[in-house]
Amino acid sequence: MNINLKKDLPRWLTLFGLLVFFVIAARGMETKDWVITLLRGLSVGSVTFLVASGFSLIFGLLDVLNMAHGTMFMIGAYITWTVYVRPDTFVDLLTPGLLLLSGFTLSAVWKRLARGLKQKGNWRVILRWVGLIVGIAAMIYILPRYPITIWDVGNYSQSPVTYSYLADQGLINLPPGLPFEEISPLVAVLGLLAASLLTAFSLSTFGARSQVAPPVSWKNLILFGFLTVTGVLALVFNNPLTSFLTGMNTTLLFTIALSVGVLAGVLLGSVMEATLIRPLYSRPIYQLMLTLGLSAIGVEAVRAIWGRPEFVMPKPSLFAGVGDGCPASSIADLWTNHCSTILLFDGRIRVYNEIFIPLVGLTVLAGIWILLQRSRLGMIIRAGVQDREMVEALGINVQRVFNTVFATGVGLAVLGGGLAAPSMGLSNVMGETLILNALIALAIGGLTNFPGAALGSLLVGLLQQVIIKYGAIGIPIPFTDIVFKPTPPLVPASTVLLMVFVLLILPNGLLGKKE
Amino acid sequence: MIKDTSKPRQNYFNRNQGLAMTILVLSLLPFVVGLFEGSSPVQVWLNEGGTSKFIEGLAIEIFILAIFALSYDLLFGITGLLSLGHSMFFATGAYLTGILLKNFETPLGLTILWVLGAAVINALIFGLVLPRVKGITFALVTLGIASVFHILIMSRELGDFTGADVGLQRIPSPAFINPATERLRFYFLALAILVFFFLVYKRFVSSPVGRVCVAIRENEGRALMLGYNTFVFKLAALTLSSITASVAGLIHAIYQPIVSPNTAGLGYTIMALLVVLIGGVGTLNGALIGAAVYRLLDFGLRRYLGEVASFVNGTIYILIVLFLPYGIVGTWRLKSLDIRQGWKRLLGYVQKSK
Repeated sequence: MNINLKKDLPRWLTLFGLLVFFVIAARGMETKDWVITLLRGLSVGSVTFLVASGFSLIFGLLDVLNMAHGTMFMIGAYITWTVYVRPDTFVDLLTPGLLLLSGFTLSAVWKRLARGLKQKGNWRVILRWVGLIVGIAAMIYILPRYPITIWDVGNYSQSPVTYSYLADQGLINLPPGLPFEEISPLVAVLGLLAASLLTAFSLSTFGARSQVAPPVSWKNLILFGFLTVTGVLALVFNNPLTSFLTGMNTTLLFTIALSVGVLAGVLLGSVMEATLIRPLYSRPIYQLMLTLGLSAIGVEAVRAIWGRPEFVMPKPSLFAGVGDGCPASSIADLWTNHCSTILLFDGRIRVYNEIFIPLVGLTVLAGIWILLQRSRLGMIIRAGVQDREMVEALGINVQRVFNTVFATGVGLAVLGGGLAAPSMGLSNVMGETLILNALIALAIGGLTNFPGAALGSLLVGLLQQVIIKYGAIGIPIPFTDIVFKPTPPLVPASTVLLMVFVLLILPNGLLGKKE
Repeated sequence: MIKDTSKPRQNYFNRNQGLAMTILVLSLLPFVVGLFEGSSPVQVWLNEGGTSKFIEGLAIEIFILAIFALSYDLLFGITGLLSLGHSMFFATGAYLTGILLKNFETPLGLTILWVLGAAVINALIFGLVLPRVKGITFALVTLGIASVFHILIMSRELGDFTGADVGLQRIPSPAFINPATERLRFYFLALAILVFFFLVYKRFVSSPVGRVCVAIRENEGRALMLGYNTFVFKLAALTLSSITASVAGLIHAIYQPIVSPNTAGLGYTIMALLVVLIGGVGTLNGALIGAAVYRLLDFGLRRYLGEVASFVNGTIYILIVLFLPYGIVGTWRLKSLDIRQGWKRLLGYVQKSK
């Protein structure tokens, strides 16, 4: 970016004004207060950034305003919580999930097979629909009979709230695994595998005539074998695996939970794009309605599975130490004692919330930045954001890139949800507040601009925390004795006002380029 | 739109047969419902039938939603301005009516004048940012303005007037249109206002100003090149839309006797957007049909399914998007020619086989 001071004067003035504002705000506080405020702002900004960056990538390349992004964030938090606190449910779900997925890894084989079939008559159509119906019927028959240990929403003593509390106390005692009663395990495994293969085959015959079948490689078969074998092994070694996960170091378990969440999010995003978003590229405004509908469905699904009450997620052991030498006064102390808090300028700082989350945020920022600037995929994405038709005309498989970007975006939101769960807690409305924050951050930074998303998220996080802090200490208004204390409703209002202010000066955001 | 030029030009009534029929059906609706219930038309006239009164109430809510959605369709569907702050217009009308009637005991006529004035001022506030920002940025800025308004309404300092986060309660409604005792009169009044605005909108869209608005939606740069000052046209559409939405808010405040701060939130704008999308963007009729579908769907699902209603609602929205690609009216208009031809072919087939 070459700096042209004359042309970009309003932009530099705005940035300078914001800097002056924050410096003045910091001068009004004690040292420990502004350090904490800064770190908290960074933390809120990082979580916002994880959602906003995915949203902005999707909007920039696909022109889809994914209003379900906040819901994805929430679902990510809930998935991470489940794997972390209830490993037994996760292990029980592993087998059917992997088996159902395995058929779809062979889509290249199916496409080839479908092309080989006789093209004559209605056979193709009949085969397709019969396969689809039989496959789905088998799933509908088997899945409700498959034993999965899960809490009973109606029964409060077994609710997620109780489990969170017990896990926080280290007293968690998982219920015994359910036996196969209504269906034999062999029938269940084979039936699910067959259902998955049939459904995948029937789905791949749609539109097979017009497409060039992708080459079949060993990779597909290896992946298929891996998924199937893992699924069966998870069933055979169900109990040992559960007790292994329960007894595991919680830091490692948290990492596993996050990765499972992100994988599930990527999968969800990929499926969503391929089935629901793809038919709507020609009617952009209806995507808004679709994603709003999806968002409502997601919230209701979470309410149906996990219930309405809010609950917490215990922090992993690396950030939960409270014993001797805590709160830590130096990095070495922190490392040896795994303290939950650290003393900095006499202020207590929570390590997970105010140091770990910003670090992850920075890592993701750097990672995506390198991906965008230094890889072939990033080059295609950057080109696509600028001019999509041109990229298509140059013979690049844009559809696949779209799918990747959508999946990545959802994966980032899910990662944000999983990270935020131990610090923010889990609730049904966590997605809505976050998507609004993310939208505001994007508007401030520039809607399709990646560094802009980071800057906007940072500004939103900082401003909110500054206002919250001044709500406690109050702002003395000069020449009077009045001390103005910003009330809680002013926290969202301040970010909104900042957005309106920035957009009126720079309609494309702080870093956005003129269109 | 394909116009059939072979037929001679029809008179106004013949051209608007559908509208006339709808008005007739809606006027008879309370009495028919009353007959089913077992109360005579006279009883319905005197507001004594329980079910018919209930149906009237539901219909009044649909009319209010339809007026609101109509105003959104003018802004979004006809002029192409995606605003996320539309609920502010509605809430201004509702709150101003409530406060004037309750705290200042203003007569209704004067209240209406105040509301109209406030609506124009609102439109001018949005007009301030209109030349600066376009497209999605305009949507976000309007969302920002509406959020500030929402927070203002919710603030404790203005609680004496607005009722803060509880909302305005017990708005006294003028005796001659009291929704509790004179519901049938209220019903016809709401219907009349809806029809009035619908006719005004239809006229507006086919007027020269309206055609320029459509041109702005299609390609603003080209409209500018043709020498139209697009700002003035957009402001005109915005003002008309604001006035309509405020009137919807006024009726809402008198009908409900309470105004909740939710009316100023993003949810209310999204509701109007959903209604317009269900009905068909830029079709005007679509806003009315969409309002009826939305409200009845919501009501029916909530009544018979309870908790899972919004799950089913979300699924239905997705199905509508996938299978009615341009909304109900939009898809109907696209397909009606096909349907007519298919029908003719079918009839010909039957005749041939005879």
